[in-house]
Amino acid sequence: MSNLNQSENLELKKNALAVRKNILRMVKAGGAGHVGGALSATDIITALYFKVMNVRPDQPLWEKRDRFVLSAGHKCLALYAVLAEKGFFDKNLLDTYGSLGSRLPGHPDMHKLPGVESNTGALGHGLSIAGGMAMGLRLDNTESKVYVIMGDGELAEGSNWEAASAAAHHKLDNLMVFVDLNGLQIEGETKDVMSNADLVARWKAFGWHVLEIDGHNFDEILACTSKLPEVKGKPTVVISHTIKAKGFSFGEGKVAYHYWSANEQEMKIAENDLAEIERSLG
Amino acid sequence: MNTADPRKTFGEALAEIGKENSKVLAISADSSSGSGLGPFKKLFSERHIEFGIMEQGIIGYAAGLATTGKIPFVVAIAPFLTSRPFEMVRNDVGYMKQNVKIVGRCAGMSYADLGPTHHSLEDVAILRTIPGFTILVPSDPVEIKEVAKAAAELNGPVYIKIARDKMPIFNDNKEYKFELGKGVTLKEGNDLTIVATGVPVYNALEAANALEKKGLSVRVINIHTLKPIDKEIIIKAAKETGKIVTVEEHYLAGGLGSIVAEITAQHAPAKLHMVGVNDQFASNGPYDGLMAMYNLDTNGIIKEVESFLKN
Repeated sequence: MSNLNQSENLELKKNALAVRKNILRMVKAGGAGHVGGALSATDIITALYFKVMNVRPDQPLWEKRDRFVLSAGHKCLALYAVLAEKGFFDKNLLDTYGSLGSRLPGHPDMHKLPGVESNTGALGHGLSIAGGMAMGLRLDNTESKVYVIMGDGELAEGSNWEAASAAAHHKLDNLMVFVDLNGLQIEGETKDVMSNADLVARWKAFGWHVLEIDGHNFDEILACTSKLPEVKGKPTVVISHTIKAKGFSFGEGKVAYHYWSANEQEMKIAENDLAEIERSLG
Repeated sequence: MNTADPRKTFGEALAEIGKENSKVLAISADSSSGSGLGPFKKLFSERHIEFGIMEQGIIGYAAGLATTGKIPFVVAIAPFLTSRPFEMVRNDVGYMKQNVKIVGRCAGMSYADLGPTHHSLEDVAILRTIPGFTILVPSDPVEIKEVAKAAAELNGPVYIKIARDKMPIFNDNKEYKFELGKGVTLKEGNDLTIVATGVPVYNALEAANALEKKGLSVRVINIHTLKPIDKEIIIKAAKETGKIVTVEEHYLAGGLGSIVAEITAQHAPAKLHMVGVNDQFASNGPYDGLMAMYNLDTNGIIKEVESFLKN
């Protein structure tokens, strides 16, 4: 059960709105970006940083922090937007997106920006890195947890399943993965490009504790994160049903907005969409 | 000449290092005893992590462990830790600048009869393209211990290449001094320099001694650190002897010979001859037979030097 009361729920919605505004701000600066997956993962990443994870923006390398690994590194607009909103760095940096040598590259670099924990972008790397972190934190007897976002298209990479086996084998119950199941990848629907049927059964067979949620519903996100581990000795995966480009009306659920080369007209619509969300939140 | 098993030597060295530094971990891919990790496991079972046969995943896990301050030594069969998970080594260890030590054992052609799937003749070539990587190729058991110690002390990504068969112990003398990034002059000479690395270093030394008897003054340089390379010792040899022969258990493309060519061409042009495996998957069979086949044994090196001088 989620512990969110009505005002906390509203607060998270406002946070997520601010994050989407930051995403739009970066695309405006850079002219283009992987908005589809960033927007589908936005609500989960927002909830993690604002309600779940133990982090200190003024001490990004604080030893006891929880870790976040964006395995699907192309969703970095969402990560940068959340980190900025959380105060890890000056929001003016968002306006450098896409510029030469920007500290906000098209895939995250831990050595360029405070709060970024790993260099992802090549798919199929993040879960192993996160598993190593979880293992190291456990060796240190800390309570720190590791949270990961993976894309559903990314799951075709075989290395993920090596990582999944090892996490279960080594009983990394301080590890929680969200599969951002927006159902789309560059070539089309994920199920047509490379079958991802029975994800729940697959992860269960690999020895994971499996949950399934609506990845845009804060009550459900918070309910699944309220206790980690829910099952002692097992890593947890949360199959999260999401909508690609969630929040930008012209792009929602459309393959074409995996990578958005923004034009003025669509930019205007996106701004109006966010303004409307703002009005609805009061 | 005394000999010692390189894997056993490395394993003993790692156990010693483990005593000094509790952050050191040993990671294996199904073959911990084959990787010489027995002594480490015995002393520090909680710091040995077995992953089974999943080298792509292992490299990522090692990088993740390193982000929490651990010093993982990943020890497994060389090609499976280098060419197979190259992208993980490049991104998770190299690009993330993590303190991971990758130890490729039974390297080169030393898995002789198992054939090219188990040989690693491109490891140096591919790993040296990764910015910030240190590459260490020890020439004898004394150097294996030094290299292991230096790798643990260095904060950054390291690749160590070690062989399978027993190696002659020839660096056990007072003059020998290991310094990371520095070549070792094993023998002085003025007519020609042999620059060698790894297992064939001893053969190169033997060859130089034989050639000396034929009236040729041959300098021998042992390069245990291929990256960062000791440019000065090579430039000096190029200037003073004018001719260089490189010897390596590696493809000619991208290895020691290429490194020496890059240096001499830019800083001190010299006549260069490269000995190694030239653009072919190596054959299979007994290790000494393979080394002879590609002129990496003593007689082969003598032949290569003589034909180089003739032409």
